[in-house]
Amino acid sequence: MSQAMSPDRLLEERGDSRSLDAFVVAAAYDRSGTCAFVLGDGGVRIVAPGKEWLPVAAHGGAVLSLAADARAAGWVTGGDDGRFLRISTDGTVSELAGFGMKWVEHVASHADAKSGVLACSVGKAVHVFDAAGAKLKTVQHPSTVTGLVFDAKGKRFAASHYGGASVWFVASKTDNPRKLEWKGSHTGIAMSPDGDCVVTAMQEYSLHGWRLSDEQHMRMTGYPAKTQALSFTKNGKWLASSGADSVVLWPFFGGGPMGKPPTELAGGDGVTCTQVAAHPTHDAVAAGFADGLVVMADISSARILPVAAPGRGAVSALAWSPDGTHLAFGTETGFAAVVDFSKRG
Amino acid sequence: MSDAPATQPTEPQAGQIPVTVLTGYLGAGKTTLLNRILTENHGRKYAVVINEFGELGVDNDLVVDTDEEVFEMNNGCICCTVRGDLIRIVGGLMKRREKFDGIIIETTGLAQPAPVAQTFFVDDEVRAKTRLDAIITVVDAKHLPARLADSNEAEDQIAFADVIVLNKMDLVTPDEAREVEATIRKINNFAKIHHATKSNVPIAELLDQGAFDLNRVLAHTPDFLSDSEHEHSDDIASMSFEVENPIDPERFNAWIGALLAEQGQNMLRTKGILSYAGEDRRFAFQAVHMIADGDFIGPWKQGEPRVSRLVFIGRNLNRPQLRRGFESCQAA
Repeated sequence: MSQAMSPDRLLEERGDSRSLDAFVVAAAYDRSGTCAFVLGDGGVRIVAPGKEWLPVAAHGGAVLSLAADARAAGWVTGGDDGRFLRISTDGTVSELAGFGMKWVEHVASHADAKSGVLACSVGKAVHVFDAAGAKLKTVQHPSTVTGLVFDAKGKRFAASHYGGASVWFVASKTDNPRKLEWKGSHTGIAMSPDGDCVVTAMQEYSLHGWRLSDEQHMRMTGYPAKTQALSFTKNGKWLASSGADSVVLWPFFGGGPMGKPPTELAGGDGVTCTQVAAHPTHDAVAAGFADGLVVMADISSARILPVAAPGRGAVSALAWSPDGTHLAFGTETGFAAVVDFSKRG
Repeated sequence: MSDAPATQPTEPQAGQIPVTVLTGYLGAGKTTLLNRILTENHGRKYAVVINEFGELGVDNDLVVDTDEEVFEMNNGCICCTVRGDLIRIVGGLMKRREKFDGIIIETTGLAQPAPVAQTFFVDDEVRAKTRLDAIITVVDAKHLPARLADSNEAEDQIAFADVIVLNKMDLVTPDEAREVEATIRKINNFAKIHHATKSNVPIAELLDQGAFDLNRVLAHTPDFLSDSEHEHSDDIASMSFEVENPIDPERFNAWIGALLAEQGQNMLRTKGILSYAGEDRRFAFQAVHMIADGDFIGPWKQGEPRVSRLVFIGRNLNRPQLRRGFESCQAA
């Protein structure tokens, strides 16, 4: 390794990092390319290019969830203080909704040229709002919602829960979901970019998928730990997942993932992968591990580029900027960084 | 990543948050006890998981209101259920773990204790970050006989307890008190019993006890070998066995594995401290129904007799069969 670059070189030469003294719960870029980290102490840090990191006091307890706002800039957050908040890039905090004692566990958003839509989950309910923050509707599920995602067009959203997942139309007046059933406890959810596949993570160390067009079930098993992160590549060919000692990539092409083995990258050292984030434009994936290692992996060449060396706490947050030039990551022990991958002239 | 060996924490490990489970039939005094824990000045902060917030009315920014969600596990174990909500809540609380010293989980009056206990065996993340400190059951001394007559839950809550608060003692005569304590002992001869009026047990006697620590449980067991009643009965009973010769781990695993697989539904709790042949450390074993776990804990003390002890709490326990089985595990 001595001839190769130091595992920390990217972080040292192209990174901007801080110790934030609180669990980094999530990272997300807004649609303008500004990054936010949300923390276990209720705080938010806003990282705009070329500016000092801006601390924002947002929630009373821990921040539990983060997504880019449906508007041109800013974010929405959910907290265990029962509040669903909108955070502007200048640090202004406004409350979209309050739910008292209940945790706002998941938030999601969709933006397009015409409008946008926001959603948050509180217990068994998902509340849907327009981009201005006006509530459109509330839908109920048989048990607590454990994951929430919009499809790529913002027309539908899907929620995971005990016994499967429910897919709802945002604009539908009759509120009956398409019920995707599979016995067991489903703990997270992703939707393929073409909107045809819904995949959940399960308590029993496996993934379960449904192909909506032909009702085909997909079972993806073999994980030694629970999958916390699921991320489809932009073209929908691969589903990256955490929960093994490598980045597990399931092929969603050529008849897969049924009957196909997954591709495993960046494995072999016995440390569990805790976070994955597919690159927004290329067939590449960033991954974080329980020992603090962060890498970027090119899927077709299987080349691994180290981003940050182990030793700063289990990676708990990972996100790409919309143009794919910047990667943000954070750890359970409060380390946070943004790394610049853009070409330098 | 290779499958990590099962290690249910039986001794406090660095950074593990102690969890106390508070059970008890409706009206037994559970909420009164919880209110005392939250308002008394003991210098420690607890995150509290409840689902009856309306009754509580306590100002604590760490109260989590939840719906008890009991989920079946698809792990081949027919009686394995867990509290899905607790897995989520523990994960959420860990994001601000420096804000509290322990977690208290209050269950509803009609709750079965098994799913709560099993959650701490089954979920790896919960297991890594927390340790089950004790299951405390609050019992109404006056009304226990009626509760036992009309519900299985009341009996199960006593069977699962590490600590029992025998409450409302001001409402019973000394004779009634003796009788109710004898009734409890028939179900669970191994729990520590505190007498109380208006749940007035010193908090220090309840929290951070390491009561789930088997060493302690077994060391404080009264009348260890005198529980000879209630065999072949549908009632819950508790039985204990001792073996003086060292145990062969392979034989023990084969025996206990088959026993729990076959009769796990009737076995509410199984706990033991074992002396393995050629091993200086004590092996702590425990199971809730079919879900078993074990790990080495500290070494045997100098001069301490290296006796292996096993405790069963359950229905339809067959004493001679259990004794023969345990004795067959002795190393040759």
